[in-house]
Amino acid sequence: MSQGAFDTVVSAHHEEIFRYLRRVIGAGGDAEDLSQETFLRAYRAFGALPLDANVRAWLFSIATNLAKNYYRSETRRRRAYGEVRATMREGAGPAPEAELISRETGALVEEIVQRLPLKQRLAFTQRKIHGLEYDAIGQSLGCSAESARAHVFQALRKIRQGLDGHGRVSEEPPR
Amino acid sequence: MIDTPTACARIAEDLLAAAIGEASPTAAQRVEHHVARCGSCRREFDGFRALDGTVAALRREPLPSEQVAHARERLETRLADLRRRLLAYRIFPSALGHILIARSELGIALVEYLDRGTSLQSSRLGREPGVEAVEGGPELETAYRDLLEYLAGRRRRFEWPLDLRLARSDFQRSVLHATSAIPYGAVTSYAGLAQDVGKASASRAVAQALRWNPLPIVIPCHRVIGTSGALTGYAGSKLGLKQRLLSVEGIPTTVGAISPSIRSEAMYVLYPGDREYCVPTCSSLGTRQPAPLTRFASREHAEAAGFMPCTACRPDLHPISQ
Repeated sequence: MSQGAFDTVVSAHHEEIFRYLRRVIGAGGDAEDLSQETFLRAYRAFGALPLDANVRAWLFSIATNLAKNYYRSETRRRRAYGEVRATMREGAGPAPEAELISRETGALVEEIVQRLPLKQRLAFTQRKIHGLEYDAIGQSLGCSAESARAHVFQALRKIRQGLDGHGRVSEEPPR
Repeated sequence: MIDTPTACARIAEDLLAAAIGEASPTAAQRVEHHVARCGSCRREFDGFRALDGTVAALRREPLPSEQVAHARERLETRLADLRRRLLAYRIFPSALGHILIARSELGIALVEYLDRGTSLQSSRLGREPGVEAVEGGPELETAYRDLLEYLAGRRRRFEWPLDLRLARSDFQRSVLHATSAIPYGAVTSYAGLAQDVGKASASRAVAQALRWNPLPIVIPCHRVIGTSGALTGYAGSKLGLKQRLLSVEGIPTTVGAISPSIRSEAMYVLYPGDREYCVPTCSSLGTRQPAPLTRFASREHAEAAGFMPCTACRPDLHPISQ
């Protein structure tokens, strides 16, 4: 339980965990609270963590568990959905037309992601936004790496279907 | 030849994996062959690829830095509060029964004999106000190994940083500091310790302070005994443990007595403030004011603590015959 070692953990991972939780919980104070809770829990368990542990995957796993608990309450789930939509709008400033289109597509993707079943949303965000390995995602969700991969693939299929419905099938990716 | 719908279904999984760059080289090659001949799968492939690009752009979207800074600041405040409260503990078996060792970021904060069980419930840790106890990790094993070495007579000092926050008052802390200075293989009296902390008449309060020593063994309260030489008390009613710890350090005690005491006739003595130690029959002692003495198990212990043989009684030439 050395102070310096945990300070390094906070510096290295706080922003990413905060981003992750904002994406899966919404931009209100709840995401910040949960990211704090993630690090407080991590601090309590840090001394007992094996030296060779993957700290980043471990933090994602704590954050994911907190997110799962959070969504056990259905009313919260609805409220958070409203918040995520609000966040996505707040980021948009003036932009050239091409960027505007791709930004709109991005916003649409985010919207569809918010409607995905929780496990798919968590798996998708960990894999495609944060680039975690399937093993780590499986551990955080309490399933195998294969199931985690299946969740991500399922999410991608649903997002594509959702985009199809808006006539945004084969746009070029923004460079 | 155009592939059949069955072929499309079979390749669907690999197609998605290839579009997002997760397919094995062989699977990617298979997909490449297929989409070259199948228009609908080509569109499917392009669609997933485009989606992957859109998602990659989301990945790069920055978060307003003031929000991150604000969240970080609030986290640091809560972490600082937790750091103050948190003690990590482990419970270990030992020849003296189960021992709980707890530490904070500052150092070892508690060594406790567990009499009534082997869990946190039987420890005072769960009842300390303002303390949050969590199960600790390997860093506590070092402390445990040091304790075992001490009990086996292979270690004389503990080089641990200590956290005295569980002491109940500043007076207790000052008593504990003074107790830490009693050398290995030596004993002093409650009255002597009371003088050391500048409260000569407070030997009873000193005894109470040591009764709640949060760091027994490490802060060697077992080296504090009654003026008569009787072991008097230890951590409540653990006189047997006290006798055992003293014998680890080579201090002779009476065996089988109802009220055990040290065998002071077999120990070297040190008058308060002196740099020279004597045999207990040294004539120089009789000419002085009676005062609480420190007693050493052996010449070697006295000299290891930095004291010289008395030039009058010459314990170096005429050691106590054991």
